[in-house]
Amino acid sequence: MNKKIQRSLAVVSAATLLFGVSAVSSAGAAQKTVYLAFQAPLTGANALTGQDELTAAKFALSEYNATNPSVKVELVIADDQGLAEVAAVVAPGIAANKKVIGLIGPAFSGATQASLPAYKATGLPMISMSATRVSLTDKKAPVNGFPIFKRVVANDKFQGPALARYAIKGVSSPSVYLVDDKTAYGKGLADYTKPSIVRDAKIAGSDSVPENTSDYTSVVAKVKASGANVVIYCGYAPDAAKFVKALRDGGYTGIFAAGDGVLKATFPNNAGNTAAEGARLTAADVPFEDVATAAQMVAYTKLTGIKVPGSYVTSTYNATNIFLTCIKQGVTTRPGMQNCITAGSFKGIAGDTIKFDRYGDIIGGAAVGAFTIKAGKIVYLGVA
Amino acid sequence: MNLQVLESQFWSLCLQGVALGFIYVLISLGYTMVYGVLRLINFANSEVFMVGTFATVVAQVGILQNETNSQSLHGFRLIYTLTFALIFSMLVCGFLGVLVELVAYRRLRSLGAKPLGFLISAIAVSIVLLETIRIVTYSRPQTSPRLLDKWSFGEFAGANFRIDTVMVIISGIVIFFTLDRFVTKTRLGKAIRAVSMSEEISKLMGINLNRVVSLTFFIGGLTTGAAAFFYTTVYETTQFNVGFNLGLAAFTTAVLGGIGNLRGAFYGGMFLGVLEQFASAILGSQWKSVTVFTVLVLVLLLKPNGIFGEAVQQTRT
Amino acid sequence: MINLRDKGASIWENWSPPARSSFVLIVITLVALLPYAGDFGPTSFLNTPISSYQAVLVYPIALFVLMGLGLNIVVGKSGLLDLGYVAFFAIGAYTMGIMGTMTSLNTWEILPFGIFFAMLAGLLLGLPALRLRGDYLAIVTLGFGEIVRIIALNLQVTGGPNGVVGVPTPPPILGQKFELDDHKAYFWVILIMILLVIWMVRRFTVRRPGRAWEAIRQDEDVAALMGVNLLVYKLWSFTIGAAVGGAGGVIYASKTMFIAPDMFTFNTSILVLACVVFGGLGNIWGVILGASILAYLPERIRFISNARQLVFGLVLLVIMNVRPDGLLPRKKREKIKQKEAK
Repeated sequence: MNKKIQRSLAVVSAATLLFGVSAVSSAGAAQKTVYLAFQAPLTGANALTGQDELTAAKFALSEYNATNPSVKVELVIADDQGLAEVAAVVAPGIAANKKVIGLIGPAFSGATQASLPAYKATGLPMISMSATRVSLTDKKAPVNGFPIFKRVVANDKFQGPALARYAIKGVSSPSVYLVDDKTAYGKGLADYTKPSIVRDAKIAGSDSVPENTSDYTSVVAKVKASGANVVIYCGYAPDAAKFVKALRDGGYTGIFAAGDGVLKATFPNNAGNTAAEGARLTAADVPFEDVATAAQMVAYTKLTGIKVPGSYVTSTYNATNIFLTCIKQGVTTRPGMQNCITAGSFKGIAGDTIKFDRYGDIIGGAAVGAFTIKAGKIVYLGVA
Repeated sequence: MNLQVLESQFWSLCLQGVALGFIYVLISLGYTMVYGVLRLINFANSEVFMVGTFATVVAQVGILQNETNSQSLHGFRLIYTLTFALIFSMLVCGFLGVLVELVAYRRLRSLGAKPLGFLISAIAVSIVLLETIRIVTYSRPQTSPRLLDKWSFGEFAGANFRIDTVMVIISGIVIFFTLDRFVTKTRLGKAIRAVSMSEEISKLMGINLNRVVSLTFFIGGLTTGAAAFFYTTVYETTQFNVGFNLGLAAFTTAVLGGIGNLRGAFYGGMFLGVLEQFASAILGSQWKSVTVFTVLVLVLLLKPNGIFGEAVQQTRT
Repeated sequence: MINLRDKGASIWENWSPPARSSFVLIVITLVALLPYAGDFGPTSFLNTPISSYQAVLVYPIALFVLMGLGLNIVVGKSGLLDLGYVAFFAIGAYTMGIMGTMTSLNTWEILPFGIFFAMLAGLLLGLPALRLRGDYLAIVTLGFGEIVRIIALNLQVTGGPNGVVGVPTPPPILGQKFELDDHKAYFWVILIMILLVIWMVRRFTVRRPGRAWEAIRQDEDVAALMGVNLLVYKLWSFTIGAAVGGAGGVIYASKTMFIAPDMFTFNTSILVLACVVFGGLGNIWGVILGASILAYLPERIRFISNARQLVFGLVLLVIMNVRPDGLLPRKKREKIKQKEAK
């Protein structure tokens, strides 16, 4: 009798457990949606950067959704115009949105700086795809992003020396003229490039030409007067195009080198093939079309209508995938996401390993790639 | 302070400054003529200029089907391409100027609004133009193809006489001269001067005020469009936000020369263009705007009506 | 068309002092409760998508109202065209930034410094510039606004393009703490400042400075003939306007904890000016209404995303064409007062 009762009890409890479990899992099988936020300039003067990056996030998400996952992921798009004052009102809004468990971005360093208070207060993990200001991950900086800020792009401390090295490679008695565009990005990169130039070559002169200047003739005059044979420009593609054109038209025949802000199709397109030919560019970001498979490129073009991806598409894709990987592992909360990202090891699309150090940079530093322009096309040469 | 650059590149900087100055002058005519007639700042002129640069590109690439990386043109094809682009840009800006007047100023004029109301209205039109172009171009810069090969006539005292620089200067002089003759000799030109001297009396003399105002905006647009063409030809690139800096420089030119004074604007532009080049060379490009504004303040302190004064009661245009 | 302001003014005049006081208190209380309106059912339509409603209330809404009131003294009351008002805001903000990070003073202690430096700048700018005629003054002030921004961009001490980071938040005052994610406290501080400025402006308006400003605004030459010292009164209005801007800047820097030159562009000057004109030049209620609407609108229509600014420009254009004297114009009020005087 006892055994019979025991056995029936066992059967009943097993049945209860089974039903109970299936009841729980069927409740779990009901579609859950988590939200990732995306913060970048989508309107305003810097809209180009944000719009390019957004395509990458959307593409990564489309690949994820195509696998028919149990947890749906949706994007909350926040336009901060790349400006600190707009970020200061957008960030609190995103931070207060309890459904958002991770932030892709912000794209610009200034906007990141202004967003930090809100995100730190609510513990929202951030992975930036293009904010390269060193102080954000510098443990000695008065305000850094610890613990929530991570980035998948090499900061200026790595890119600067690489740029200097690459620019003077193969030049006998290099005499360098350093120009920046007075933006936080350009000035920051120039500050980190300068020590390497001073150490390995000679500085012929320097100048700061504010962004969006049309006329570069006075700078060209100064470059010519200084006798420099290498010009390093720290800024963005549209201005670099104007500058290199003015240099070549002015009769400058030396090397022209620039950082990742110039690594966009806009540069050779706007400068013209002849002026841009042979320019040496470094980037902490590899062009997406060089690392994606052909099938992925087709899918990307189908989704976005763009044939040649813009800048930081690879890093945004990587950043989004890091979040998605954690979500696939079952993360649904901010603390969970924070732990997953901090401790985890991820794979970038180029096959590289991404693991973050304590303050948010990639361990081993993100690789800095060297590029050149041949016949109007960006050509990847290898690690700088 | 980098003075050696000034020594070795003096004439080169002067030449470039003059060429740039002409572009400023042509845009400033849009401000100064409207001010002469309406006593109002035509704030939207900077965006009219910006639209003109895109019109030039549209003319060269869209209508005449030149590719961005195509070979430069020569001979007859070069001449008619450039002329067509120039005229297209001028007309687009001219009519846009008239449209701006109709939308931003006409109604407020009939209601007798205060000057500040006009300013805000013009600013609103400015925003609308800027944003429309920004949305249409996806915030991307637009290049114009190198149709004109930038060969040089030769160097003289360190100054490189490139064909585009020379072209800007010569065309600028021609346009300015034509405008000056128009305003002093023709009936319509005299009507404009009459209105700028006194609206009341002009009305009594039977001058159709609205027509004159529209004409003024049209002419201002024409010169601004020409400036846009030259700008695009020389710099070969444009973006939705080029208007602000150039508009500010042009407005400064107009004030320096004495706002409302056509000939004063001419000298103001030359002065400003050269000053900018020198300031960039000596102090560094980041101090260019500060230098310009400081000089402006100093000039206005000493000569409150601009270098050539406003000539309000005298013969002026 | 009904002149709302005159209607309001005539109703106001018919009330007794106790009725007036209680009305004022009720209005102030309602405004102070605005930060809660986003979450409160019936008023939740006020909520801004994406950006934080409470953060938007502080900047741009409350600060634009404050700056609008300051600019109103310059432009509205005295008729001086200032296109570079953002410079004073920037000076206040950078004072807070630099002193906050280099000295151990807190926000409340730095506030008088911020106001002082802004006033000093107003004085230095005004001395040469205010002798100039209207439109020349416009471009000089515009230039000044740009000069301040460019100097902040170029100098090392202001941090260059990186700006100043780590600006301290205000210490608790009267028990009210200033948390990182709590914007309400800042809103109330600015609300108090707005009330102070309104009170100050009203006191000035009924006394000699206000009348002198009015005379200058209407016709400078006549005012000079009547014995008004033009430069002194113009400088007065300029520096007071600057002081208000500077005060706003100090609070702003303390709130965002980070300032950079690109936060103080010509666009801000124009927007504040648009607020003043849009609302109705010269009168306080118009400015408050105008600033609230123009600062709030771009954030509220974020769902339009790409065409946001375009819609803003179109709205501004339409309103200026329909009501060129602003939403609450001032003109007729003087006529009513004249009639009553008879």
